[in-house]
Amino acid sequence: MKTWDLIKTANRNLFRNKLRTILTVLAIFVGSYTLTMTNGVGDGMRDYVESQIKNIEGDRVAMVRKKIETPNGPSSGAAVEYKDESEEADEAELDPNTVLLTQPQIDAVVRDIPGIVGTTPRYSVRGEHISVEGSKKYKLELGMLSDGLVAKTEAGKSISGPNQIVIPIGLARALDEKIENLVGKTATIGYKVPDGSIKTVPLTITGVMTKGFMTNNNSFVSADVAKQIYAAQSVQEGPAKFIGFTIQMDSSDPTKIAEIKKQLDAKGFEAETVADTQQRTYDAIGIFKTGMNLFAMVALLAASFGIINTLVIAVLERTKEIGLQKALGMGRGKIFTIFSLESVLIGFWGAVLGAGAAIVTGLAANQVFVKFYARSFEGFSLFAFKPLSIAAIMLLVCAIAFVAGVMPAIRASRLNPIESLRYE
Amino acid sequence: MLEAKNLSKTYTSDGVDYEALKDVDLSVRRGDCIAIVGKSGSGKSTLMHLLACLDAPTYGSVLIDGRDTSAFTERTKNALRNEKFGFVFQQFFLNGRDTVFENVVLPMRIRGASNSEIAKETTAALDAVGLADKVNKKAKDLSGGEKQRVCIARALVGRPEVIFADEPTGNLDSSTGAAVEKMLFDLNRDQGITLVVVTHDSDLADRCDRVIEMKDGRIVADKQREAAV
Repeated sequence: MKTWDLIKTANRNLFRNKLRTILTVLAIFVGSYTLTMTNGVGDGMRDYVESQIKNIEGDRVAMVRKKIETPNGPSSGAAVEYKDESEEADEAELDPNTVLLTQPQIDAVVRDIPGIVGTTPRYSVRGEHISVEGSKKYKLELGMLSDGLVAKTEAGKSISGPNQIVIPIGLARALDEKIENLVGKTATIGYKVPDGSIKTVPLTITGVMTKGFMTNNNSFVSADVAKQIYAAQSVQEGPAKFIGFTIQMDSSDPTKIAEIKKQLDAKGFEAETVADTQQRTYDAIGIFKTGMNLFAMVALLAASFGIINTLVIAVLERTKEIGLQKALGMGRGKIFTIFSLESVLIGFWGAVLGAGAAIVTGLAANQVFVKFYARSFEGFSLFAFKPLSIAAIMLLVCAIAFVAGVMPAIRASRLNPIESLRYE
Repeated sequence: MLEAKNLSKTYTSDGVDYEALKDVDLSVRRGDCIAIVGKSGSGKSTLMHLLACLDAPTYGSVLIDGRDTSAFTERTKNALRNEKFGFVFQQFFLNGRDTVFENVVLPMRIRGASNSEIAKETTAALDAVGLADKVNKKAKDLSGGEKQRVCIARALVGRPEVIFADEPTGNLDSSTGAAVEKMLFDLNRDQGITLVVVTHDSDLADRCDRVIEMKDGRIVADKQREAAV
């Protein structure tokens, strides 16, 4: 029997008992619908988060900080011996009592690790206000963009030198409705110094940043500007201490980065690249998505018993017909194929209808969602349907249906022709 | 062309053996028209099933054109039944919801024949049984006699060498039964198709050239009709 004939026969057999087939397809439909929806929510979240966390780029940069020591560290509750800070101590030696680091300590850490070409300490700075060429003053959230990191922009470009600033889109819109006009203008930013007065510094706006989780609503300046502000704001005595630093590496090769991380780890430091941060977020969403999909899989599992039931009954109903087909020379394999095809077709129709309905309702839900929440979640679609995901879901549903059909199909293929023809 | 040697078949059900066929020897020649008669339980159907390779003997062997079928694989036996044998059953075994065409075409589909071949052979087979005008009718809408003629067309469509007919007139009234009988005998006479009829209808048996009578799993008589000799 030719393949096309087998498919036609299977399809015809299915629609001989329309009601039963439709009910079984409906069960698969529910499972497939649920799976498409849960997967769509997961993809929607991932898309949104992706757009949000990709607004800072830099593949040769890693954030480094001292590991918080466990099991003997403070969090374990065990007593830790206090070591007096000795005057004669080597200034590059690490102080085990704190995670804070001085510049000489940072230099000492990276000195003999090949592949690290530079470091930037994490200067924490506080901004006060910002204005552009005599405009109203707006409150300023200020951050530092380490060398090697690039901010994604809606207009203009990221900072590339001293005395520059990139500003967030919300602030930019307040300053000028046409954000492009701001690029190249001079912004005056103010920051508070310990005596309570406010100092100002003029900076050139190089760009307007794309919105994202990782940057909140911060404006960013380069390390030089941050260092200058930090020095003015610092109230600490003695050498400046930082909670971490950024390293610039000579390569974006993952194996080289991994080697650098390993060496830092051996010295008691953990390093995280932008990709690591993104991956951690993706992993979290992946777990969420998998959890949701598991619920849908339960529905599919239940539906697969419906397929088994339908086919077992079909085998009984068609025992004589199977007997005749075998008598007329149809082999076991072909009988098995016909029944398997029937179950795969049930799965296929359920998958197509389920995914179709899910896409329609999902897209409609997106419309409603955009209407109500567009302002707080710019660029967010509740459901995202990707052709590859949909294809994978359909394939999975068909595979589940096939597995469900194996037992009845084997039963059919093993029927004895004479006994089957006599079956009442 | 068909030969049975020391053919025995034992069925076991609930641990009790039942010998349906005991040491049967039989030779069927090409073009023969044979009736296998006997009461129910005499083993006539079992003999037919074994000859038609629908079942495997417990002992002994069936030879087709001198080749021992017990050495055949399942696939070879399937191909053999599909290409060399045709079957007509008492209960028709038609698919009522399908058209006459789809019912007749089944052996050709199983064989994997081309569409043009299917069309040609099906038309020829339906012409031979006089049902060319009913080709698109649903099988369930036919009369009993027409149904059995569709079955004959189905048996005929693959151009078999042997047609096995199991009580072909058992479900028909005498006049339609006679028409079906005539059709089978004509095929035997005109096309040289070997005919093996299993029946307990003595009228039908008497019209065959050779009558094999069975009782308790053995052949008790093998009569050649005088006129045919």
